[in-house]
Amino acid sequence: MTDSDGALPPELALRTWGLRRQFGDALAVDGLELDVRPGEMLTVLGPSGCGKTTVLRLIAGLDTPDAGTIEIGGRIVSGPGCAVPPERRRVGMVFQEVALFPHLSVRENIGYGVRRAPDRDARVRELLELVDLPGAGLRMPHELSGGMQQRVAVARALAPRPDVVLLDEPFSSLDAALRTQLRVDVREILRAAGAASVFVTHDQDEALTLGDRLAVMVQGRVEQIGTPEAIYGEPATAFVATFVGTANLVPGEYREGVARTRFGTVRLVGPASEGAGRGLILMRPEHLEVDVALDDPSGADTWRVLGRRFTGMRIQYSIASTDGERLWVEAGHAVRRLHVGDPVHLRLREIETVVFPAGGARPEA
Amino acid sequence: MTGTPRAPWPLAAAGLVIAFLALLPLLYLVIRAFGAEASAAAFLLRPRTAGIVTGTVGLALLVGAGTVGLGVPVAWLTSRTDIPGRRTWAVLTAIPLAIPSYVVGFAFLAFFGPRGTLQSILAPLGVDRMPSIGGLLGAALVLTLVSYPYVSLATRAALLRTDPAIEESAQLLGDRGLSVFRRVTLPALVPAIAAGALLAILYALSDFGAVSLLQFDSLSRAIYLQYGASFDRSLAAVLALILVVLTLTLTWGERRLRSRAASYSSRSRRPPTVVVLGRWRWPAVAFLTVVSGLALVLPVGTIAWWLVRGVNQGEPLRLVVDVAMGSFVMGGVAAFAAVGLASIVALISARHRSRLSGFVETATYAGYALPGIVVALAIVFLATRTLPFAYQTLGLLVVAYAVRFTPQAIGSIRSGLEQAGRGIEEAGRSLGDGPVGAFFRLTLPALRPAIVAGGALVFLTVVKELPLALLLAPIGFETLATEIWDAASSGFYARAAGPAALLLVISVGTVAALLRAEERAR
Repeated sequence: MTDSDGALPPELALRTWGLRRQFGDALAVDGLELDVRPGEMLTVLGPSGCGKTTVLRLIAGLDTPDAGTIEIGGRIVSGPGCAVPPERRRVGMVFQEVALFPHLSVRENIGYGVRRAPDRDARVRELLELVDLPGAGLRMPHELSGGMQQRVAVARALAPRPDVVLLDEPFSSLDAALRTQLRVDVREILRAAGAASVFVTHDQDEALTLGDRLAVMVQGRVEQIGTPEAIYGEPATAFVATFVGTANLVPGEYREGVARTRFGTVRLVGPASEGAGRGLILMRPEHLEVDVALDDPSGADTWRVLGRRFTGMRIQYSIASTDGERLWVEAGHAVRRLHVGDPVHLRLREIETVVFPAGGARPEA
Repeated sequence: MTGTPRAPWPLAAAGLVIAFLALLPLLYLVIRAFGAEASAAAFLLRPRTAGIVTGTVGLALLVGAGTVGLGVPVAWLTSRTDIPGRRTWAVLTAIPLAIPSYVVGFAFLAFFGPRGTLQSILAPLGVDRMPSIGGLLGAALVLTLVSYPYVSLATRAALLRTDPAIEESAQLLGDRGLSVFRRVTLPALVPAIAAGALLAILYALSDFGAVSLLQFDSLSRAIYLQYGASFDRSLAAVLALILVVLTLTLTWGERRLRSRAASYSSRSRRPPTVVVLGRWRWPAVAFLTVVSGLALVLPVGTIAWWLVRGVNQGEPLRLVVDVAMGSFVMGGVAAFAAVGLASIVALISARHRSRLSGFVETATYAGYALPGIVVALAIVFLATRTLPFAYQTLGLLVVAYAVRFTPQAIGSIRSGLEQAGRGIEEAGRSLGDGPVGAFFRLTLPALRPAIVAGGALVFLTVVKELPLALLLAPIGFETLATEIWDAASSGFYARAAGPAALLLVISVGTVAALLRAEERAR
């Protein structure tokens, strides 16, 4: 708390490399590399049990890694022969369970980490304004709604001006409408505070809309890191493709940046596109368009509608071919509402996509 | 809240009668105390009265401090540390709550007192006089040892409900180790600790058995002495009223603290973090050993010692069996009656929510909150004045028990009723039952476990109850409790050991059965 040495701002707010943590036989974190730039929000998305929460606890110092290094604000806080205790890491944390101090008022909760600062009262007022609860300072945590409690928790974490704020699925216990609103609010609050943050979630909506960059984590490793658009458009692995957004993986042959599939030819992008061979080609629902099949409802190219889901802007259809293959697709603009069992034809839109070469070879990211 | 139908008039009338009976002692006491107006003011100002009140407050403070001092470390050690045998300690340290105070008081008297166990052991060394175990400190010690589980259980529950993220937050905001405990963990526990301590103090204030055996003049013993010795029994009523005001105030405080403690608890998904004791583990084990040694091993050992001695000297165990049978029959009849009354109150409050149901419930619980000696005294007054033919009959004692302990059965029966819901009854109606038939053929059988549980609780309480039995039982009728009290206060330790041993077995057996049921439910 006292080591503000006035050095130049570090290039990275947070960096980890070679981070490893094992619980018994299970490898929760396996050689993890992460970096967060000042003021940036990095979301970490992964299925439950992939080690996301462990990563946050290692960064915060609430758990000790078996190997690897953590650097916060240009200072190594955990590494070979070095372990700065949590209270001196300059890390703020917002927990899934909120974890406000039940016996302290909102004001005292926010002021907890800055109690020795001369400008404590001013800082608390400033933060109450920031989280839009200017009149709630004297109230007790149990008198607040779930959303308000979580905003107080964010303010409390921000009060000591930490180098990085860690958020561990902070909205997962709230209902859907509140969650969407609070997501926007907290993003704004963190942006206004200029704080770097790591936001862990298993909700892909949250991950795609919230972060400046997104890291997809599987089995203790970062599978891919990049902007949400890049991860959706050019996923590095088949797992990322199916975990982030809806994916159809269509077998095909590819050579010199072009792939041939049963639906036609597509141009490829990404590192694997230069090679040649067989592989799975990613086709998002918006890449494939269906039309009503009027002419020959029993032909080999005819698919039938299995189901339908409304995504808010478009309707996506699940369809199946006579040989049992299933796809998620969108309907062409002129198409009337389709019903289950309707025969349809499939058309490939003009797209660029990625290929996952057969044999499980992992393209270098 | 959805509207519920009004209670049919026979049910409502029965509820009002129960409420009236429960409040009767309190009402009568007030009338009686104000009837003594002339002398009451002078009596209140007498130095002896002031001394009794000060002594009682002193006892309350000592028991409060003692139970917090024992209960909080016990709770912490058995919930948040890696102490060896943690679960076993949790059980052992909870048991004393089930043992009646006068049994432990008797054991302390028989161990430390004149011609007691300790003196017999030390006699060969030339020790022929023992310092007195009685008085304020002795009473405070015994009451602390039987009531500290109120604090340890409440605190333990709160500690287990505390979200580990709260302590982690404090750490990330700059606190470490002990300072996290002092600034966050402990303050968040304060309502639970205070509520537990108030329960312990209430127990101490209401206690009659231990204080009278150890001859400490707290209010409840003074009430008894005043009742026995004086011509003007209204003065006993004045003392009783002081005690009532004290206990009702504390009861109100305890309720408020309990609701605050509930609002402090979080719905944590992670188990609490466990503190590694390291080199402190053996001092910690020593502490728990001393606590359990005093509260459990010493009473059990002393009673066993006197039991063996008594049998060797030809103490007739046959008498114990007779007394026990009398106690059990009385307890059984009282439990049966209490369950009937409780069913009426539970039915009104679960099925016919209204101002009437609120009143009936509050009234029965208010009667329950009164110290036993106060209720006993009031019933003696009432009976001698209005029902002289009923005074000192078993019938009156059983009615008094049934009314007093009805609230113990209400809780389980009401939650049973709420669980059973109206559904099965309505299904029965749709299949051709009348309203009364559906209740007796369907709802009542579904309630059987709840009724049995409530009845068992009342039965155990009645078997262990002392002041009402002492003042109301017919001459010549002894219960286990009065037998221990009579024998112990006259120094016949060997004679008291038999019934005391039986009560110990019943108390410890109850806790064991409850814990096993809880385990199975989990």
